[in-house]
Amino acid sequence: MDLIIGGAYQGKLDCARRTFGVRDEDIFTCTETDSIAFGSRCINRLEEFTLHCVRQNEENRNEALDAAELFRRNRESWRDSVLICADIFCGVVPLGADMRAWREMTGRLCAYLASEADTVTRVFCGLEQRLK
Amino acid sequence: MNVLISGGSKNGKTAFAERAALALAGSASCGKRYYVATMIPYDDEDRKRVELHIEERAGLGFTTLEIARNIASALDLVKEDGADPAASTFLVDSTTALLLNEMYPGDYSAPADPMAAERCRRGLAGLARGAGNAVFVSDYIYSDAARYDDFTERYRADLASIDRALAEICDTVIELSCGLAVVHKGGLPQ
Repeated sequence: MDLIIGGAYQGKLDCARRTFGVRDEDIFTCTETDSIAFGSRCINRLEEFTLHCVRQNEENRNEALDAAELFRRNRESWRDSVLICADIFCGVVPLGADMRAWREMTGRLCAYLASEADTVTRVFCGLEQRLK
Repeated sequence: MNVLISGGSKNGKTAFAERAALALAGSASCGKRYYVATMIPYDDEDRKRVELHIEERAGLGFTTLEIARNIASALDLVKEDGADPAASTFLVDSTTALLLNEMYPGDYSAPADPMAAERCRRGLAGLARGAGNAVFVSDYIYSDAARYDDFTERYRADLASIDRALAEICDTVIELSCGLAVVHKGGLPQ
């Protein structure tokens, strides 16, 4: 698995195409409202998936969704994927509890994925920095 | 040589950019140095920041050009000054303020100009081409956990498009952290 991280609008998807051979039809784009397709060749906007989990947890307090745990359980399906997540970790602690939960869950997911990844690439102004 | 410097706020981007510009001016016989200030001060806090920056670069030999919009006009101003832009070093501080000014050519009550980012990209590229050396300062505002309003998202996307265009044409791209350089492209100016 190849993990690509970086701030908003830095060119992470271009990096997936250029460096990891991802084609448009390979890309699954997460949204705040929908579930994830683990078996996709490329999963983009993981930060939207974690926000989806946070929103679900707000509605249903009995069964807490945790993005990293869900990824752990589905490990076989994304082992050869390209995963893309926005770095949302450098601002001040958000005032809203939901944004704090979002940041926390996204951070834990990225740390888990980075530990599992064959490569980790950070994109800055369109330029790639190999972290692993 | 052209250099892009970005990074979080208060990490010493301006001070580093000044040193980079001096090094470039010294090494490549691009002796004339211009500090291109793009921010329009709106209140006392802004004015204080401007004064502080002027004090900090006193004695470094920069001529200050205040250019809020149409950044490539710096080349013409230098020619009017009797100097050769191709033998001069420009420090543009910052693309962040330039974009904001280009978005609002009139007053802030009018809607933002949708062509602002394109004008910035073109103008900055023109300046990079015509200058002996150019050092551009931008701001990295892309890694916080927040959902912004449409205007702010648009501004972030536009600024990122300018950063990425500059990163492509610049020889060196540097991210500053605690005043220290992380080199993403090229080599340190010396």
